Amino acid sequence: MYTFLKKGAPALALLGLALGSCQPELEEPKASAGSADFSRYIAVGNSLTAGFMDGGLYREGQASSYPALLAQQFSRVGGGAFTQPLFTEAQANGSGYLRLAGFTAQGSPITAPVVTSLAIRGFAGNDPTKPLYTKFTEPVNNLGVPGIRMSDITTAGYGSTQGNPYFERITPDASGTQTYLQRISASNPTFFTFWLGNNDVLGFATAGGAANSITARTTFTNNANSAIDALTANGAKGVVALIPDVANIPFFTTVGPAFRSTLAQANVPSAAPFVYTTGTLAPGQPNTRVSTTVASIRDAAGTGNLLLTLTASPYLGLYGQPSGKYWRDFYQQARPSLPATIPNLATFLLVMQIDTLRPFGQTTQNPFPSTLVLDATEQTTVRTATTNFNADLTAKATAKDLAIFDANSFFNGVAANGYATNGQINSASFISGNLFSLDGVHPTPRGYAVVANEMIRVINQKYGSTIPFVDANAYRGVRFP
Amino acid sequence: MNLKHLLFAGGALLGATAAQAGGFQLTLAGQKNNGMGGVGTGLALDQAAMFYNPGALAMVRERGVQIGVNATLARQAFRAQYGGTERQLDNTVSTPFNFYAGFGPTEGKWKAGIGVYTPFGSRLDYNDNWEGRTSLTSIDLKSIFVQPTVSYALTDQLSVGAGLVVFAAGSVNLQRDIQDPAQGSIELDGKADTKFGWNAGVYFKPSDKFSLGISHRSKMDAVVSGGDVIISGVNASLANRFAARKFDVTLPLPATTTIGFGLMPTEKLTLGFDVNYATWSRYQELVFTFDAPINGQTVSRSRREYQDALTFRLGGQYQVTDALTVRLGGAFDETPVKDGFVTPETPDNDRLTATAGVSYKFGERFGIDVSAQYVNIAKRSQTQEDLLNNGVANDRVAGTYKTVAVVPGFGLNYNF
Repeated sequence: MYTFLKKGAPALALLGLALGSCQPELEEPKASAGSADFSRYIAVGNSLTAGFMDGGLYREGQASSYPALLAQQFSRVGGGAFTQPLFTEAQANGSGYLRLAGFTAQGSPITAPVVTSLAIRGFAGNDPTKPLYTKFTEPVNNLGVPGIRMSDITTAGYGSTQGNPYFERITPDASGTQTYLQRISASNPTFFTFWLGNNDVLGFATAGGAANSITARTTFTNNANSAIDALTANGAKGVVALIPDVANIPFFTTVGPAFRSTLAQANVPSAAPFVYTTGTLAPGQPNTRVSTTVASIRDAAGTGNLLLTLTASPYLGLYGQPSGKYWRDFYQQARPSLPATIPNLATFLLVMQIDTLRPFGQTTQNPFPSTLVLDATEQTTVRTATTNFNADLTAKATAKDLAIFDANSFFNGVAANGYATNGQINSASFISGNLFSLDGVHPTPRGYAVVANEMIRVINQKYGSTIPFVDANAYRGVRFP
Repeated sequence: MNLKHLLFAGGALLGATAAQAGGFQLTLAGQKNNGMGGVGTGLALDQAAMFYNPGALAMVRERGVQIGVNATLARQAFRAQYGGTERQLDNTVSTPFNFYAGFGPTEGKWKAGIGVYTPFGSRLDYNDNWEGRTSLTSIDLKSIFVQPTVSYALTDQLSVGAGLVVFAAGSVNLQRDIQDPAQGSIELDGKADTKFGWNAGVYFKPSDKFSLGISHRSKMDAVVSGGDVIISGVNASLANRFAARKFDVTLPLPATTTIGFGLMPTEKLTLGFDVNYATWSRYQELVFTFDAPINGQTVSRSRREYQDALTFRLGGQYQVTDALTVRLGGAFDETPVKDGFVTPETPDNDRLTATAGVSYKFGERFGIDVSAQYVNIAKRSQTQEDLLNNGVANDRVAGTYKTVAVVPGFGLNYNF
């Protein structure tokens, strides 16, 4: 027995050795560029392309913008350097943004603005609502400009201090009058992503259809075609991303259902009156007051056709109370642009035909403001515009034989079924869904990673490339306290 | 605010080390059999017949005691479809063992015995931060079965036998990371309840050169009641949503039916061939029930949808001298796991096993058995599209798994 063990020990050692060499290896799938050339990638777009999130543009968001993630994956298949107009470490919080500070006893999120380490260098015309940011005038590959609409791309002076501060920031002083279209025309890409047009409907929608307007289809289409023509002038390949239906984003899907459930818990009948205004909300402008019931507000089950905006949240607790809070806030906001005939709040309320002693949101004398409601008519307007814009983008992309990322179908799918990443559950829910940031509109880093993967998918399909996907779970959702 | 998606707890319980007959079933129940591809139902080799075919026990000439232990040394690799770095699982060793004692009159018609063995088990440790961490980070499953057995020779050629299968001891420890945004991790740790089943078999040896057997092991349920839930590291603002402290779970174990044949062309040469059918389709769903809500839910369900599976085994032994016997064998295991249903706790696929073994007798009564198995589990890939089509993307990860294992084994036997 002893001798057996003595002889057996080396045999076992040999076995261990054999085992060491039998560790299975899974070869890394070959990454190839296919028929595309990623050596000079240019990203054209708006806030989504810039990496805007949590209501601001800041360094972390920039670093996890989908173009940055795409460029990182492209580098595996011959992609070149990709420069973003990053805020410096010292000014890492850029424009400032919202952070999640905690939850109320009722479970509602409490957000707080981040106001340190900003990159604000001054204010246009000394107007504190018009900040100017520390300039970044080196050549950049990421031309994402928060706030830009398709209708803005031919506007001269859009990159000046009187224009868009984010475009102004990346526009060299010498070329202050250069339009966005001229800027992208000069970018000379071998590969590009093009995701513009969201703001042409979003601005209308987030203002509850009460301000801003949807871009005319001809303007939209002419500008989109000019931009795509310019980008493909030298034979560049690329992706055209479509516009998602904004009615699915947490900005519109969070507050209404929460309000309905609060009312239900307080035993407020769904037949209780709900009165809101529709149309432009400004002194002297006619607006219609619509009387309906609480049942019209969309609940968690999806019944009801009124969507309440995330910005409605602070006012919903005042429903049914004699409150003028909204109108006071509105007055403060509107004050600088009010005519001399409206010298004070009392006059303002008189002109607006508001009686704040009446229960808020329950009577035509103190209605819920249209700025916080997207009603069925407005939703149809938004959806029709989105469909038309997408049809025109698709037509152009098809004519140019470009890949198409149908962000509309994709985000509709996310809203309906959620979207798991490596077994991690994500959804379009506000805060808990991981994909949308605290502004309820823009993705989180995880959301941007998912977008990057969807773009990689269509690029691989279109150009026969095998670009590896990103591990989306390596990127965060909303940061919890 | 809707937090229902925070965590989809549960989802994975029991897994497999390599070297089993599909799923998490281990067939390392006899050290001689281990060297012969795991055949045994049509043979009457030794006391391990209690496991392979209780009907054959009466035909085992010797009374005796035997003990064996194996070391399952598995090496695994994983590469996610989304992410892509190769993950090599931490090396783990599990040690299935077996013990048999058989009694009975030398020339009598009956034999009795008791067997102790570990037919199901698993141990896997995934790398920290691997892509499927919300499905599983580690699993350790142990089971010990005790089986009193009687066998009776109806004629010189035909014998029957049956055993009471007692699921005497079992434990599970499962760990995983909690879904974002809650983060943190959850550990489920529990002991299995004692359960009873049976096995029975018939053995028929019409000539010196041929034998056959059929045996059946009943289905059983492994049940953990009131296991401990240990949650740590959850974001403070969400901690109150993770109040569970106890869990219950039931894991169905399959019934298996085996038909085996033995051929003895010469006195020194024995060949065996077994076909085994396991009713894995019992395992459709894994359901954990918690004593308090975990992120709003007290029940978590994960689809498994196993299908019944066959195993084919072939092996033989040759008696070189009175003292020395050598063995070779092989097996092919069909996986019970359907395409697009692979979970990290059972990264399973069809398996090919090659085995070898040696026995040496020191005198009349004492002998040792040494065996080695090499198990090659075919590479298994599933894509995110597969998972989405099957509706299971929420609790498992898309990618490719590959596993191989070496299982050395050592046994002692003493006959009286």
